[in-house]
Amino acid sequence: MPYHTFECSECIPERAMHAVIKGSGEDLTSCLPLGYLNTIPGTISERGCAYCGAKHVIGSPMKDVIHISHGPVGCTYDTWHTKRYISDNDNFQLKYTFSTDMKEKHIVFGAEKMLKQNIIDCFKAFPHIKRMTIYQTCASALIGDDIAAVAKKVMAEMPDVDIFVCNAPGFGGPSQSGGHHKINIAWIDQKVGTYEPEIKSKYVINYVGDYNIQGDAEIMVDFFQRMGIQVLSTFTGNGSYDDLRGMHLAHLNVLECARSAEYICNELRKRYEIPRLDIDGYGFEPLSASLMKVAMFFGLEKEAQAIIDEETARWRSELNWYAKRLKGKKICLWPGGSKLWHWAHVIEEEMGVKVVSVYSKFGHQGDFEKGVARCSEGALAIDDPNELEGLEAMEMLQPDCVLTGVRPGEVSKKMRIPYLNIHGYHNGPYKGYEGWVRLARDLYNAIYSPIHQLSGMDISKDEIPTDKGFLTRQMISDVNIVDDGTSPSEEKPYTGDWDIVTRLRGKTYPKLESQQLGTI
Amino acid sequence: MDEVMKDRIEQLVDFIMKWCLWQFHSRAWDRERQNEGVLTKTMQLLCDEPVDLSTPSDRCYWVDAVYLANGFKKTYPWLGTMEKKDIKLLMQGLKDRIDYLTINGSLNQELTNPLY
Repeated sequence: MPYHTFECSECIPERAMHAVIKGSGEDLTSCLPLGYLNTIPGTISERGCAYCGAKHVIGSPMKDVIHISHGPVGCTYDTWHTKRYISDNDNFQLKYTFSTDMKEKHIVFGAEKMLKQNIIDCFKAFPHIKRMTIYQTCASALIGDDIAAVAKKVMAEMPDVDIFVCNAPGFGGPSQSGGHHKINIAWIDQKVGTYEPEIKSKYVINYVGDYNIQGDAEIMVDFFQRMGIQVLSTFTGNGSYDDLRGMHLAHLNVLECARSAEYICNELRKRYEIPRLDIDGYGFEPLSASLMKVAMFFGLEKEAQAIIDEETARWRSELNWYAKRLKGKKICLWPGGSKLWHWAHVIEEEMGVKVVSVYSKFGHQGDFEKGVARCSEGALAIDDPNELEGLEAMEMLQPDCVLTGVRPGEVSKKMRIPYLNIHGYHNGPYKGYEGWVRLARDLYNAIYSPIHQLSGMDISKDEIPTDKGFLTRQMISDVNIVDDGTSPSEEKPYTGDWDIVTRLRGKTYPKLESQQLGTI
Repeated sequence: MDEVMKDRIEQLVDFIMKWCLWQFHSRAWDRERQNEGVLTKTMQLLCDEPVDLSTPSDRCYWVDAVYLANGFKKTYPWLGTMEKKDIKLLMQGLKDRIDYLTINGSLNQELTNPLY
C-alpha cells in the first residue's frame, strides 16, 4: 500500500491510512486513502461542521428566501463577506442574514416561542419574501426544540408563506459533508413534488450541484438556454425556492458537484425515474463533451456544436497564451470536494501545470477514487489534512502555487507560496470557456506577481536595491518564451470584461422562446 | 488473454478514468448498473449493432457511450483494425476490469452502504 506518513503525524498512528502517493503501476485497488471518517483526536482538522455544510454551502444560495439559523448569533456569521454565491435578485440571500440569537435563558426554558415570533417578524420585515428556510444548530438540537412543529403552526396562520426546516446540527456528521447529505434528503422529503413550475420547453433539466460562485451557474445556464433547454431549477446557486420544489418535473438531472448533491439526484432517479448525468463544467474539452452529452439526450447536437465552436474560437488562443507560461509549474490542488477531480487531469492537459498533490477536507473515498484516477503518478493525495501536514507537504513538494480556500491559503502565503482562492474564487466565474481563461489568468498572476520579489526581502537586514525597479509579471514569465514568429498572433492575455455575468441577466434566448410560442 | 489485449484494455481503462465520471456513482449497485449500461451500449456502437433508446435511462447511458466510442476511435487507431468479434472480446475484458477497479476490488468502504 502506498500510504504516506507525515513526520508531524507519526505520533498519531490513526492518520497512517489518510494519505497516499500514487506510484507507478498503482491503481484504485491499491492506492486510496480513507475518507469521511470522524476527525482523529490530536489532529487539528480544518473541517467545517454539518450545519455549515447544510446552510452555508447548500441552503443559503437559494435566492428568494429568508434563511434563518435557530441558534446563537455566531452560527450565522458567514454571509456577504465570506460567501460569494451571487444571485440575480440583488443578492438578497447574501445581504441579509437572520438568527434567533439564542441565549442562556432559551437553553434553560426553551426557544420555540421565540422562534415563532422571529419567523413572523422576519416575514413582516420583508413582506415581498414568502419563503423561508430554518436551520437547526447544535444548541437548538440539544434542547430539543421542535422546529418543524413551529413552522407548521406559522404556515397555518400565514397561508401565503412556505417554510423548509433543515435539522443538520453542527455535530451531525464528521464534517460539512454530513450537512450536505441531510439537506439533500430533507429537501426531497419535504419539498420536491409540492409545487409545479411552468414547463416552457420540450427539453427540461435540473442543473444540480452548482452554487453560482461568482456566477458559475449563470454561465452554464446561459449555455443550456442558448440550446433551447429549460433549466427548471438550479440546485441551488441562484436557485428559486419554488422552482426547486418542482424538480420532479425535469427530464434529466445534470449533476456537477456529486459530492454535495448526488444524494438528491439518486433519490430523484429512484422516486421519479429521472436519469442522472454527471458532467464537468470546467476545461475546454470536458465542458465541450458535457454540453454535447446534454444536447444529445434531447437531440440538440447542432445547437451544442454551434456553442462549442463559437466559444472555442473566441477563447482558445487566450488560454494558450497562459498555458505556454504556466507549463511545468507545480500546483497543489487542495479544494473542498469536487474540484480535486474536476480539475486534476484537465488542468494539466490544458494549462500545462503539474498537479503534485490533491486533498480534501470533507471528500469521501468516492471523491478520492476520482481524484487519484485522474491525477498523475507521484501525486500526494491527503484526506482531512491538518495544518502541520499541509506545511510539511508544501515543504516537501515545493509547489509554485496552492489552489485552496482562504484559511489554508493564508498559511501558504506565510510560506511565501502564492495561493489562489478556488472556493470563493479570486476573479471568477471559472466555469465556461471564458471562465477557464480567467482561472488561467488568475493562476498566472498569482505565480508571477512582482510582490514575491518584495516579500522575500527583510528590510531589517537585506540591502534594498534602489537603482532598479522590480520585474513585471511578463518580464519573469517570458524569459523562456522564444518569439520565433511561430506563435499565432491572436495568442494574447485575457481580453474579457471585469464582469461577465450581469450582462447575461437581460439576455433573450430565441430557441427557448420559440418553443414557448409553439413554433418548434 | 494475450498481452496485446491486456495492454489495450489498460489503455481504454486509462481513457475512462481520465475523462469519465459515470463509473464512480456512490454505491455498488449503482456502479454495476452504470458499468453495464454504458459499456454495453459502447460495445454496440463500436460493433454497429442497434442500441436500445426506449427509456430516459437508456438515453442517458447512450450519451456517455457515444462519447466513449468516439473517444476510443479517435485516441486509439488500432481499434479500427480490429474485427467485430475481437472488439466484443475487448469490451468484455474492459467491462470485467472496470468492474474490478470500481466494485469488486475497490477499497471504497461506502459502496455497500444500503442508503444514499
